[in-house]
Amino acid sequence: MTGLANSKGLETAEKYYTQYGARATELKKEGRKVIGYMSALAPVEILTAAGVVPVRLKGFVDEAITKGDAYMESIICPFVRNAFDAAIKGRFSFMDGMVLPHQCDSIDRTNDVWSSYLNLPYWHFLNVPHVTDDPSIEFMKEILRVFIGTLEKFLGTKITDAAIAQAIKAHNENRRLMRGLYDLRKSNPPLISGVEMMKVLVAAMSIPVDESSALIRGITEDVKKRTAPADGNRKRIMIIGDQIDHTAIPESIENTGAWLVADDLSIGGKIYWPEVDETADPLQGIAERYLRKLKIPTTFVGDGNTYEENLEARFGHLKQRIAEFKVDGAILFIYKYCDPYGFEVPAMKSYIESGGTPVLYLEDEYSTSTLARVKTRIEAFLEMIA
Amino acid sequence: MAEEKKGRAVATQTAARIPKFVRGNLSATLKAKEEEKKVAKAFIADGQDEIMRAMDIVPAWGESFSGVCAAKRDAEKYLQKAESDNFSRSLCTYATCHIGFEMIREEQGGAMPEGAPWGGMGRPDMILGNGQLLCDPRFKWPQALQHYLKDVPVFITNMYYPPWDPNTDHHEQEKFYVKYCTEELRETVKFCEKVTGKKMDWDRLAAVVELSDKTWDLFVDTYDLRKAIPTPMDTGDAMNTMVPLTFNLGTQEAYDFYVELNSELKQKIAGGIGVADPEKYRLIWAAGLPSWFALNDFQYFNSKGAVFPVEVTYRGCEKIERLDLPKTNDPLEHIAWRWVRYWTHWYDAARKRHGSTPKVERIIEYIEDYKCDGAVFHSAFSCRSWHAGIINQADVLRKVYKDIPILIMEGDIVDISSYNEADTHNRIDAFIETLEAYKGKQKK
Ligand code: SF4
Ligand code: SF4
Repeated sequence: MTGLANSKGLETAEKYYTQYGARATELKKEGRKVIGYMSALAPVEILTAAGVVPVRLKGFVDEAITKGDAYMESIICPFVRNAFDAAIKGRFSFMDGMVLPHQCDSIDRTNDVWSSYLNLPYWHFLNVPHVTDDPSIEFMKEILRVFIGTLEKFLGTKITDAAIAQAIKAHNENRRLMRGLYDLRKSNPPLISGVEMMKVLVAAMSIPVDESSALIRGITEDVKKRTAPADGNRKRIMIIGDQIDHTAIPESIENTGAWLVADDLSIGGKIYWPEVDETADPLQGIAERYLRKLKIPTTFVGDGNTYEENLEARFGHLKQRIAEFKVDGAILFIYKYCDPYGFEVPAMKSYIESGGTPVLYLEDEYSTSTLARVKTRIEAFLEMIA
Repeated sequence: MAEEKKGRAVATQTAARIPKFVRGNLSATLKAKEEEKKVAKAFIADGQDEIMRAMDIVPAWGESFSGVCAAKRDAEKYLQKAESDNFSRSLCTYATCHIGFEMIREEQGGAMPEGAPWGGMGRPDMILGNGQLLCDPRFKWPQALQHYLKDVPVFITNMYYPPWDPNTDHHEQEKFYVKYCTEELRETVKFCEKVTGKKMDWDRLAAVVELSDKTWDLFVDTYDLRKAIPTPMDTGDAMNTMVPLTFNLGTQEAYDFYVELNSELKQKIAGGIGVADPEKYRLIWAAGLPSWFALNDFQYFNSKGAVFPVEVTYRGCEKIERLDLPKTNDPLEHIAWRWVRYWTHWYDAARKRHGSTPKVERIIEYIEDYKCDGAVFHSAFSCRSWHAGIINQADVLRKVYKDIPILIMEGDIVDISSYNEADTHNRIDAFIETLEAYKGKQKK
């Protein structure tokens, strides 16, 4: 593998990764509205259908929190605090508004904090339910209608079912393309590194879906042409967690002599596998994807007849991905103060281990200041599984 | 919450009856097997109390169990047990304390862990949760618990209320929220019927709901008596007297308890008996669960002449009339309306005061009604639900109301390792000085 230099697409991804929001800023100058959002639960199809530029907020792992602590308690998950700190410092000054989906307490309980201090022209809290039964799907459709109504009012345009259906197609296509790029990590060694992939994933969440698809297509073509060096002895690692949106952790893994070949992150594997079914009422398909298909711990899954059945429903996709990507070890990287992921650790760890894959569980901050400790733990893990 | 050895001496005789209530709730879970009743591990403020009471399901309150362990300063062994299986110390400590306890019991083949407070809590036959807006542990704790109690079925329902948005009228949305809540409650009934093998007696449920409404009204009327100067009861006692409302809603005992408390408070008012003598400063406990291991701090406040005639915490009810609930013959729909309106009935007031929020509006209302001079918040590190957003509440309160003295204390509900008594007292002393200066300025 020769790195980013041999692909124009990867250079663009690098640019959007290092200058996060650069494209949104350009588009804003051209008169487009930009709506920021948090978490895998924001229905990007609706934002795309509305004609706005959706930009997912991220943190900046090597920046200390300097302003946010005056507004937001330290008992909030460090990722949310870091992203909020970035927002309050003006890192997302291109935003005309934001949608904050109800994912977890760290987001729900800070809704007033975000809305009152950012003071954006448009604000919406999307009350996504935690359970997935039929009444919850109907409820989800209701809150999507309310969301659409507020967006229409803000933008002064109608968001038609046809536009939503078209956006669904575009996002499904985008997901297929990204999965195609993931496929190039299945070889040994992978054709695209974990560090490069992270940059693509981050770039993709900051640009309109059609641009993202073009970018991924270009990168895939370039990467396919690569000839992989004969370096098949490295361990193949998968990382699991919520929003890890920087290269520091992939670098820690790959600089230690392993490949990061797969992930179940909320900006990666979690969102690129499930698609939206093209249903007569487009909101039906959207509600079903976000409630029933997304595998995130803030959605309660538990209608199996036995505990084992529930585990399969919750974590079965992890075993599949471990097999497909020939993963030798999994790292659970969980942020401190994150109840949804934190309460899953014993069950998820033992589930993955029961399939013969060793697991390293790390609880940490969202900061490079603690990286030395993380690196030491990863090194020890890799030695253990060598 | 009831406390033993290290706890605070209660100011009212009625509150002194609370340990018996808590012990009674725990022992009911232990006796349930003999009485052929099912036990449900359940959560407070989940809207499921009345369904359980009407179906003779005995609630096993995890929060109460962990609170008792904390009050006895005996939670560490359970917290460590949970930690040994990778539950982080930053998670809700009510949950990790209880999970640690259940882990030990399972390892012992079902034998009660030695030294479990007041004989411990019975093993549940089912686990009920509610993925509502109150907190993540309300659905993650049940799921995590099932990892150790694999044979115990879990049911999670979902009851939401319209989120606060100053630019959106919530009234329209209430209807579909209530519809959703009602359907979810119906699913809860179906699940309980399956586990108990008994059908819901709908007339009985209606009677239980009626009794709950009466209890809500009586609770508010009784607590309103604390408006008297000097106040006959403060938050230190209210952390006890909340038990019947919070853990025994829908029972006659709960109602009778407030009848008794009501009459005791009236007697105290007639005799001019206050919590502090003299009463110098009136404070609102504006948010936060207390440190159960340090309820003595309320007495420390009292010793400085500071009293808390009102608190937001555990005041989980409102006068039914004020909620203006639409008429319905369906008790589940009634519960749903009561739930939704309990949260939304502060929205209109908040919308009228630019920059305000419903949480702050509620604090302002209490400050005015109870004539408070300052506000105290407690920020417990392991519970984001009640404790995230406190800085914002304090800030908004100052901006939209007035610059009253505010103290934000930091600690936890169960984990004593975060607590230092001397530091806490120093902070209270400094706050009292601020209050004194503030009152001096007000007089001028
Ligand atoms: S890491 Fe956990 S607490 Fe933080 S935003 Fe994600 S789900 Fe919420
Ligand atoms: S997180 Fe807070 S509200 Fe939820 S169970 Fe724990 S202490 Fe209670």
